[in-house]
Amino acid sequence: MDFISFIALIVLDTTASWLRMFAALFLSILLSIAVGIYAATSRKAERIILPVVDIFQTLPILAFFPFVIYIFVFLLPGYIGINAAVIFLIVTSMAWNIIFGVYEAVKVLPNEFVELADLYDMSSWQRVRKIFIPAAMPRVVEQSVLSWSIGLFYLVTSEIFSIGNANYAVKYGIGVALAQLAFSGNYLYYAIGIAVFIAFVVATRFLFFRPLELHFTKYNRVSEESKKHFALHFGIAKAFNYLPKLVRAPAKRLRAISAFRRARHPAGASRNAGAHAALPREGIKNLKIKGLKKGLGGIAALVLAMLLLAVVLRYPVVVHYEYEALVSLAVSFARIWLAFAAILAIAFPVCVYLIFISKHRNSYLLFFQVIASIPATILLPIIVIALKGYALHSELTAFVIFFLSGIWYIIFSVIASSTSISGEIFEVKRLFGIKGKSAWKYIYSRALLPGLITGSVTAIAAEWNASIVAEYFTTTGISGTNVVSSVSVGIGKLLDVSLGSGNITLMIIALLNLTAMIIIVNTFLWKRLYRKVSNTYK
Amino acid sequence: MSEVVLEVRDIVFSYDDSPSQRILDKISFKAQKGEFVSLIGPSGCGKSTLLRILARLIPPVSGEVIYKGKRLYAPTREISFVFQDFALLPWLTNLENVKIGLANSEISEEEKKRKASGMLEKMGLESVADYYPNALSGGMKQRVGIARAIVSDPNVLLMDEPFSSLDELTANALRGDVVSMLKSSDISVNSVIMVTHNVEEAVEISDKIVVLSNKPTKIKQEMQLKLSYPRNRHSKVFMQAVDKVYELLTK
Repeated sequence: MDFISFIALIVLDTTASWLRMFAALFLSILLSIAVGIYAATSRKAERIILPVVDIFQTLPILAFFPFVIYIFVFLLPGYIGINAAVIFLIVTSMAWNIIFGVYEAVKVLPNEFVELADLYDMSSWQRVRKIFIPAAMPRVVEQSVLSWSIGLFYLVTSEIFSIGNANYAVKYGIGVALAQLAFSGNYLYYAIGIAVFIAFVVATRFLFFRPLELHFTKYNRVSEESKKHFALHFGIAKAFNYLPKLVRAPAKRLRAISAFRRARHPAGASRNAGAHAALPREGIKNLKIKGLKKGLGGIAALVLAMLLLAVVLRYPVVVHYEYEALVSLAVSFARIWLAFAAILAIAFPVCVYLIFISKHRNSYLLFFQVIASIPATILLPIIVIALKGYALHSELTAFVIFFLSGIWYIIFSVIASSTSISGEIFEVKRLFGIKGKSAWKYIYSRALLPGLITGSVTAIAAEWNASIVAEYFTTTGISGTNVVSSVSVGIGKLLDVSLGSGNITLMIIALLNLTAMIIIVNTFLWKRLYRKVSNTYK
Repeated sequence: MSEVVLEVRDIVFSYDDSPSQRILDKISFKAQKGEFVSLIGPSGCGKSTLLRILARLIPPVSGEVIYKGKRLYAPTREISFVFQDFALLPWLTNLENVKIGLANSEISEEEKKRKASGMLEKMGLESVADYYPNALSGGMKQRVGIARAIVSDPNVLLMDEPFSSLDELTANALRGDVVSMLKSSDISVNSVIMVTHNVEEAVEISDKIVVLSNKPTKIKQEMQLKLSYPRNRHSKVFMQAVDKVYELLTK
């Protein structure tokens, strides 16, 4: 293949991927506006929607991909079905935080606006069009920027996933193209392909999102100015400064929830919300947590009921499947947490260095931000090739992918939260000569803990997301499916294999177990930990 | 009153991005043993920056800070600092926060705890020693901040608008306590340099007021105050002194 046609092909492939992304973004925004406004204007809807959205955004939805593919291909003819599945999947990664953005923007609108609408006898549709949507648009754009980068990870991973399943192949896309280049040994073109991918990421930020931001924030330019997180001197770094925000989104949610626990006001104290600027937020928090508890209970009950039903109907196979799912889950859990431990061991000292010691933080940040814009799974083909021939190479591959999928979230979360550490704390450290062991004990570990916790939630979710390709990776050749890399046992592998063999019962059982485990860990470990920390830190 | 404890000579400061625009322009003054010096000037004139240079928290572009005849290059245990917004570490209890003041001392953990507890008691805070700072009012937080600053027996205390984050009544009470404590002989602090933008406050507690001008910041005048303590804000001499400082500031 000559260079020109190679470039043309790679650009076309990336464009195909980007079309999926734009379709998903468009759908996500439509969905978010509808759901967000509904939740913000109806109390009943609010109580159901908020907890559900809160749970969905912490679930590793990529793990549902084999299931989603199965359903879509079952419903729609081949190529349309697979693309619909990919777009649906990206929507499920993008929509949650945009829904929250719309909801919050509408919820904090002053009551006068509603009174104004009453005064002029506006219809519901007019209210939505003239008041709610314009009020929500700045937040929609802001959240879309975050959603885009989450979506990229899903896009690439689902494309990479699809190449090993002849029945479910995406065919065109940057993830597919890069994997093919790597496996045909064309490493130079592979590297160029990644460069093209990064160029698309940067161009999208500058040429698509930046103008949108400017357009929709022209009413509050001042607050736009005050939002500078870091002193980013570089234009390019500015374009990437959404990355810290990305990890701040779940932090905000956790904060809202823990703030509620501390608030003594009973729920519903702010019926007359709009009249007092401070009150509606309180109301939001109250509702969120109350509904959340109910939602958790509901989901747990549902999981149990479905499991029981399945056991009754299909005994004894289901018991065997449940056993298989639990063992796989336990092994993947160990694998993912081992990688997580490695992430902490590396990311934490790096963060301490960047935040407390380095004098060139901004230059390092730029470097990290560009690196982090590459979804780790795009490197999977090259990692598989590089590790081929080593003992335990499949385990190593999984470890490296898990590590690369999660580490950036920790680094960015910690750095983002460090901007709220007051400058005086750095001065206290210098003034009283706090160094070495005491500095780690009294300053570093404590100051960075909130960011570490919120980063951990997203990092581990990213690892689970990557598990469907990291644990089991196949390609399709003339002779059929080649298993390139496969761990012995793992939930990601189980999901993939059950798709391959069309064992939908096993797949559902595996997903139920995974979902229950994630909810339990988030509720009993991370949320608790965060609450404990944030209570003393305020 | 003749021994010079801290001296600054020709301090020049400007920000990295505009080195030609001087924030501080050749500032020189002395603080003598037992003296309470106030630096007063318009908002944004760089008073707090100057104080941080005295503590060597930031380096000046040029000029020297001399402590007891020796040039300073880094923060020293002998010179302590009270922050405007308290700067307590929110994740440490009040007692642990005071112990931070002793982080650099070569005394045993037991001894540190004993000293820190004693200092909290002196500030009337023994009952909240095991609470976190977020449980305290602003006035109490600043008491913890002051306890942390003096627990290591420093010689010089630098205070950056220590009462300006507090409401009027709390500020008055704490100011009174701080003055009587600093004037008493049972603590080690000899000299105090305080930054303020409150003229009455400066006249109430200072032996010397250094009046700064803006853009670039230079010393306009030094003013000695020879009034006895405690000072009555409504006395004629007090009001005359206040008027004089205002006149210098606006001139």
